Amino acid sequence: MTISSTIYNPQSAKTLIDEVIERSSQNIYACYQCRRCASGCTVGEETGITPDVLIRLIITGNREEALDNALVWQCVSCYTCGTRCPNNIQSGRVTETLKKMSREEDVIPLNPNIAYFHDAFVQGCTRWGRVNEMEFMGYYELKNIGKHLINYQFKKAYDEIVLQIKLGASMFKQKRLHLKLHTSRGRKEVKQFYKMAMKKKTALKDDKKSGFGYRHV
Amino acid sequence: MREVQMDVAYYPGCSLHQSSQFYDLQTRRIFSELGVSLKEIEDWSCCGATSAGKFNDFLAVALPARNLGIAEQAGFKEMLIPCSGCYSSHLMSQTRLRHNIPLLHEINGELAFKVTNTLKLVNILELFLEAKDNGRFESKIVKKLTGLKPACYYGCMTRFAYDVPVSDNVENPQGMETLLDMMGAESRDWSYKTACCGASAAINDPDTAFNLMGKIMKNAVKRGCNCIVTTCPMCQLNLDAYQEKFCNKAGIYERLPVYFITELMGIAMGISLQEMNADRHFIDVFGLVKELELV
Repeated sequence: MTISSTIYNPQSAKTLIDEVIERSSQNIYACYQCRRCASGCTVGEETGITPDVLIRLIITGNREEALDNALVWQCVSCYTCGTRCPNNIQSGRVTETLKKMSREEDVIPLNPNIAYFHDAFVQGCTRWGRVNEMEFMGYYELKNIGKHLINYQFKKAYDEIVLQIKLGASMFKQKRLHLKLHTSRGRKEVKQFYKMAMKKKTALKDDKKSGFGYRHV
Repeated sequence: MREVQMDVAYYPGCSLHQSSQFYDLQTRRIFSELGVSLKEIEDWSCCGATSAGKFNDFLAVALPARNLGIAEQAGFKEMLIPCSGCYSSHLMSQTRLRHNIPLLHEINGELAFKVTNTLKLVNILELFLEAKDNGRFESKIVKKLTGLKPACYYGCMTRFAYDVPVSDNVENPQGMETLLDMMGAESRDWSYKTACCGASAAINDPDTAFNLMGKIMKNAVKRGCNCIVTTCPMCQLNLDAYQEKFCNKAGIYERLPVYFITELMGIAMGISLQEMNADRHFIDVFGLVKELELV
């Protein structure tokens, strides 16, 4: 992956930095590129791009690359970068913010499975008030396998089904699979929170489309 | 230090009611032996784990806030959260709500039990260490864990600070070592105690997750450990259920049992592994303790 982090785009830099700082509440201006986060990054080896590069991309205003790279999707949110940072920047919060921004701006995720997973989890837990492992995994697998089928990758879909059935069977054997539906009686409140969150999301999207850029909602 | 016995609120979280139900059972059992009375809070809901944070900022704060409100309005001063993921998301929510008053009002507007920001969140190690300091734990030990060489694996979520002072060292925590050494085990120093196991990546990005778990395992084996001990149900499930796979991938021949700290404390207190439902592990946990004649 080539990173054009040295190309400075003053116009997009201003809006991008403001949005990231406000939404992640991390002062990325404080970064002096010591790369301690990079040496600690759990997934740095897999992604080839580390938090320091990501912050450089934001500061120089490379919006497209900042929103569409492997780290934004593969970051496992272990927050090691943040505990090591001498300037107390929680870069894990920055990647989480970029992940949300990239979805708002309809960037196709580099690894769609990760997006499916988190969507399925949040929808599962807001539907019942509690997460039901079987149910949300079912939704996730439907999306995942559906993606293979749409692309005519029948072998991949088959492999995925076999893999998950094997995992399910071994979980069942160890009595770690539970079929009872877990719910919370007060899930109305949780559903209301979900509605509010979606409203905020739409407002944010509309704001960006109308050309006002990012405004706090 | 606690003079008078007080009730502690207890938030089990979704995984302790499902795939890691035996951890719930063990936690309740061990604390009742230690004389701490855990009261599960009424009608709790899911905290959103790390997924909510990746989905929407508001939701990530609002979901745990409901549980904070329930515990506070029931009059609890402290809440125990054994699952590291739940612990860190509640801690994050609480910190945000302390600093963002408009957000607190917005969320309280929807809640039947309002958040007052008076609750202290504790993880399982903090409470165990408190019991140790009070001398309640030492008197209960009937069996020394001689010969056990555990790799104490904290995972990334309990040491996660997020501007909140955590009780242990973030880079080199010692809580589990303190407890295990007191029980007579010889805990080994190792390099991956706060590394990340990949958590949900084991499902949605297995290549990455298996590489991470392979590194953890390799180091534990190299340091001469004969088991891994953890407090986090996600770490336990990952390192246990996928051990065959990631070890094959990383070329590791050894297999190590992955215990919950509650199981080892149970053995030391004379509770049998069967009583604690320890047969629910994927990698056998009975062989090692039998070999060392601990049971």
